[in-house]
Amino acid sequence: MEQNILEVQNVSKSFNGHQVLKNLSFTVQGGETFGLLGPNGAGKTTTMRMIMNILQPDEGEILFNGIRRQRLKGVHFGYLPEERGLYPRAKVLDVLIYFGTLNNLSVRKAEVEAIRYLDRLGIVQYTDARINELSKGIQQKIQFIAAFLHDPEVLILDEPFTGLDPINQTVLQEILEEYKSKNKILILSTHLMDQAEKLCNHICLINQAQVVIDGPISKIRQRFREDAYFIEADRPIPDLAEIKGLQIIEEGKNSYKFLVEQQSLKFSDILKKVEQKARILRFEVFEPSLHDIFIRLIQKQTEELK
Amino acid sequence: MKNIFRIARWEFLTRVKSRSFLFNTFISPFLFAAVITIPLFIFNLQPQITTKLIGLIDLSGQNIKEELQRELSRSYRLNNQSSEYLVMNIAVGNSKPYKQMLAKYEEIKARLDSISQAYEQIKTERMQYYKNSRIPNRDYVLRTSYEKLQNTREEKELIEIEFSRFKSAMDSLYKREALKTADSLLHMDVLNAYLVFGPDFTKTGVVEYHTKTPGDLKEVDRFERILQTIIIKKRILNDQVPRSKIRRWFRPIYLKKYQLLPEGQQEWNFYVQFYGPLIGVFLLFMAIFTAGGYVFSSVLLEKSNRVIEILMSYVSSNQLMGGKILGLGFLGLVQIFSWFAITLVLMSLGVIPADKIAYLNWQNAGYFLIYFSLGFLFYGSIFVTIGSVSASEYDAQQINQLLRTIAIFPVLLSLLVLADPNAPIIRILSFIPFLTPSFMIMRIPLSTSPIMFDIYGTIILMILSIAVMIFIAGRIFRISTLMIGKKPTPQEIWRWIKVW
Repeated sequence: MEQNILEVQNVSKSFNGHQVLKNLSFTVQGGETFGLLGPNGAGKTTTMRMIMNILQPDEGEILFNGIRRQRLKGVHFGYLPEERGLYPRAKVLDVLIYFGTLNNLSVRKAEVEAIRYLDRLGIVQYTDARINELSKGIQQKIQFIAAFLHDPEVLILDEPFTGLDPINQTVLQEILEEYKSKNKILILSTHLMDQAEKLCNHICLINQAQVVIDGPISKIRQRFREDAYFIEADRPIPDLAEIKGLQIIEEGKNSYKFLVEQQSLKFSDILKKVEQKARILRFEVFEPSLHDIFIRLIQKQTEELK
Repeated sequence: MKNIFRIARWEFLTRVKSRSFLFNTFISPFLFAAVITIPLFIFNLQPQITTKLIGLIDLSGQNIKEELQRELSRSYRLNNQSSEYLVMNIAVGNSKPYKQMLAKYEEIKARLDSISQAYEQIKTERMQYYKNSRIPNRDYVLRTSYEKLQNTREEKELIEIEFSRFKSAMDSLYKREALKTADSLLHMDVLNAYLVFGPDFTKTGVVEYHTKTPGDLKEVDRFERILQTIIIKKRILNDQVPRSKIRRWFRPIYLKKYQLLPEGQQEWNFYVQFYGPLIGVFLLFMAIFTAGGYVFSSVLLEKSNRVIEILMSYVSSNQLMGGKILGLGFLGLVQIFSWFAITLVLMSLGVIPADKIAYLNWQNAGYFLIYFSLGFLFYGSIFVTIGSVSASEYDAQQINQLLRTIAIFPVLLSLLVLADPNAPIIRILSFIPFLTPSFMIMRIPLSTSPIMFDIYGTIILMILSIAVMIFIAGRIFRISTLMIGKKPTPQEIWRWIKVW
């Protein structure tokens, strides 16, 4: 299987003198789910538009399998923009065939693929319905289909899960997993950190036109681990705070998140002390969530820039 | 390149079955033709319904009534051959003040008659006295009769003065009473109008025309013509010209109009010449603005619902713009060919008298197609630009309305074009690209000689303007379609155009 690779190299872009991206670089391998994260106005949409060749970088290059993006046809790429919309009066199948044919599918092939996906997403009964007769959720599913109907090598989804119910989110995730397994590149942009955490294995965080962090999600988590632990018992443990060298940073009903500040302090001593008063239900090393890392990094960078 | 055709196909197919396209193609032209021709029919039919009663106040004592009736009956007849106008004298005999005055008038007149008689008798007697020298006391008789004559003359003169003063007072009372009566008849709609002839109307040439509708130019024109004839006839009669001659001179004239065309002569008909090109301009306007309007709404829709972003990720902005213009231009051509087909059917059924309408030919059909294509490309590229820079549909519709007003402006000058299709001002206006299609479609059928210079000139100018417009549209479209909710400033637009 050929290894797909998308490289964004030192890309800069500005609009009317306002720098939107500055020396942005990252690489996405086939089979990866790449999360493009960042606060509003960080430059995510501009990056995606440049990968889709809607905008051209002022500096730098975007390469797919070593070939410059401008020289490639759109057919290798699929895109679901954040702002959704379709032709309100057109029929579902007609719209899908139209988008399919724009990506070099024959009318027949586009029709077959469209019906296959409509069936898979459980909306095949709306094949001949007009778009404006459908609910927002169904319209969104149709847009998904339009984005990957032509089986692109690179699929870019901007906020794909907003507006979808949990069942449909699961169906969509299955389809995306299947897509990824074909060694294709999936790029997601989302504000929902738990979604990104679940789906992505590679993230790139952008803030104020620059890359703040880029790398596999497991490595990023490891890097931000801070010797914090989590303990949950069947009743409150007020004695925990009295242990020397231990600092509670978050307290729940029967649960505590704490830091071990003294290296000499042993876990066995801590557990022993707790077990005298309550039964331990859970004890684990606390991994920082992407949400926490995200906020911490953005705050840090904003302070530095100040 | 394939994508241009795919976009064109999509644009064409989604519009060709739409209700608005079917309405604009098959209903609107007939509605327009009906709207402009129905008032014409009503206008022409109206006088045929009833005879019109025309009152007459004749202060000249020349018995105008007979003459007026004769002239009106000769010129204007209803379908059943009876006269369209009936003239009646306004009688004031029942008016009390007039009756009283009339009694006194009769008395003075009787006095005047008797004294005139007496005066004539004295004159006759004196004549005999002169001739007969054998009358006894002749000198005495002559002297006394002279005194009697003198006295009678003085008295006669006094009565004459009194009579003339009274008569003028009576005339003015007559006029006043007659006007009062005529006005009330006009109010009650018994009369359509009434005419007042002054005592010396032949000399002054002034006749009063009283009506509720002086704006009815057709009626006014008719009376002016008839009265002109009557007055001139009277003036000539006063100069001792024999009546028979006058009748011959005043035989009515009918101007039969012919138009010289390159292929020969053709009888000229105002309605065919005026309304035909007007309907032509309307159809051209409809075709350009139906297809152009679709370009506009298509860009606006894709921009407002963000489909444009998906499209532009698959195709280039030029392909997208080109596809739209191609597909919807083809839609416009389908519309025009539908009209050609309808025209051919109506011609073969004899509803349109093709033999009397020289401009209904294949060459002009070709010009129609050329000016449609040029107009569509010109306005289409403007619509692409407006659609892509407009932040809201409301903004865009306002500019759309302005463009429509500009394009239909030549229709306001249609009467000028009819009078002289090649007048300098019309020729200059034809070279303004916004107005070119409408003006040329009116001028070509109305011009008696070929206007090849203007045709080639305007086509070249339109092609150049289209090239400039498409270039500008391409630059603006690519950038502005990705902007959401923000209207670009003129400076920004200028910067986009400048960037190569």
